[in-house]
Amino acid sequence: MIPEGTRFLLPPEARLKAELQKRLQDLFLRHGYEPVELPALEAFDPAHPLAERAFKLVDKTGEVLALRSEFTTLLAKLLRPHLGKGVHRFQYAGALWLREADAELGRLREYTQVGLELIGATGPLADAEVLELAFSALEALGLGGVVEVGLPSLVGEVLRASGLSESAQKEVQRAIHRKNLPELKALLAQNPVPEEVRQTLLALPDLYGEREVLKEAQTLPLPPKAREALSRLERTLDLLERPVLLDLGMARRYEYYSGIFFRAYTPGFGLPLLGGGRYDGALLPQAAGFALGVERVLEALKPPPQESPPEVLALDLKALRRFARERRVELFHGEDPVAHAKARGIPFLAEGERIWEVP
Amino acid sequence: MKRFRLTVALPKGRIFQEAYEALKRAGLPLPPVENARALLHGEEGGVALLELRNKDVPVYVDLGIAEIGVVGKDVLLDSGRDLYEPVDLGFGACRLSLIRRPGDTGPIRRIATKYPNFTARLLKERGWAADVVELSGNIELAAVTGLADAVVDVVQTGATLRAAGLVEVEVLAHSTARLVVNRQALKLKRDLLKPLIARLRELAQP
Repeated sequence: MIPEGTRFLLPPEARLKAELQKRLQDLFLRHGYEPVELPALEAFDPAHPLAERAFKLVDKTGEVLALRSEFTTLLAKLLRPHLGKGVHRFQYAGALWLREADAELGRLREYTQVGLELIGATGPLADAEVLELAFSALEALGLGGVVEVGLPSLVGEVLRASGLSESAQKEVQRAIHRKNLPELKALLAQNPVPEEVRQTLLALPDLYGEREVLKEAQTLPLPPKAREALSRLERTLDLLERPVLLDLGMARRYEYYSGIFFRAYTPGFGLPLLGGGRYDGALLPQAAGFALGVERVLEALKPPPQESPPEVLALDLKALRRFARERRVELFHGEDPVAHAKARGIPFLAEGERIWEVP
Repeated sequence: MKRFRLTVALPKGRIFQEAYEALKRAGLPLPPVENARALLHGEEGGVALLELRNKDVPVYVDLGIAEIGVVGKDVLLDSGRDLYEPVDLGFGACRLSLIRRPGDTGPIRRIATKYPNFTARLLKERGWAADVVELSGNIELAAVTGLADAVVDVVQTGATLRAAGLVEVEVLAHSTARLVVNRQALKLKRDLLKPLIARLRELAQP
């Protein structure tokens, strides 16, 4: 029996997972992102964004530990004292754990992420670099994906400038997040705001689509900081030169995301494959990044390719030692090697130094 | 598995017919429901219709099996699923209420409901220390028989309650049927869904 929301992989899935991970790590490395390794155990911090959902353990001293539930926070915490000035690029890969209630398709309690962080750079070019890497990652995986970009800081600035109380801001944000126009209208009727703000808030949920929504947004009576965020996004997209979907009503964790937030979807799979954004000031002065859910990618790539047979069937240890240096070889155990090779589709037999084609 | 242009999840029962007609009026080419025993209607390449238990609608939509669905706000309040909820369709009005035996004013120690998450939130907000008992039907019986001191249940006209000799102590939430949309489907199929949402909003205007 294994605990709910955990998984074990058999061939060929386990191999496929390792290959996918390697492909992403190589890609990130070629773009200057150096691997870091982080502990799976950390001191429990009630202020951690996932504190409530983390697995907890008791240390021998009686202190509470948590199993790693997110890389970004941990990486920032551990590296903060060691970072000098300038630009740093890091990549990470490994398991994460969440004590989540529902474990469902693609929503595991033990899962693997591969991701990267760009630290010490901000602005449109830095955002475009991170987005470019997200596109490249999807390409490297051979997945046709759509990248959706939102601007939580825009919603945040509009809300902050609205004059609404903090609790009303939260409720309004929730209604925008769900694109729940009727509830949004009702909330604004209960908590009156200036007509210009009302008009903007009611427009936000429907500002999704292609580049034209930027134009639409620019016609709204936005506060100056929101306008700046919008023009930074426009500049980012100009630099990126890739087609993205926009959703300016994306209002997720706007107090954390200081600029863009993005995720990638692939048709026919119901959950995002990757997610990331910019969080200047939240953990480090300037940082952006994203992470891919490896199990989700595996799920989205289904069905896994057929496991290919080895090239050579070795009849003795000597042949195994000799040929495994350059090819995939399997040692034969049994009675009839020719029948076995034929049944598995193995093209060559080998004995000692000798190798021949299966008759 | 068949491929469809769009898959719609509708709850069996009182909302089904109204939801079907509302979507049809808004121009969605829904398949005819010919075989009453089939659970999945529709032709390959067209619009498919799933008939589900109302609690299952948010699950199918959240996990992307169905791109859109219609379900009561009462169910959404309990589901905790992160869905888009762009249209209040207006029909299927009901309320979620706290129900007790007449004259019962003592503290609530045990509360029975079909809405365990909503009820647990309510208890937490009010600081009531009570156990939640999840039941699947005829909830009022729990109050009548003394299984619980109170129940949280859906009330339409109140006739069932009165017949059972119970009183509606407090209305906790109002509910109507909502259009729900999967987060990524709204973006990936926006050519189909954005106009559909706009038409449904126009039609739902009181």
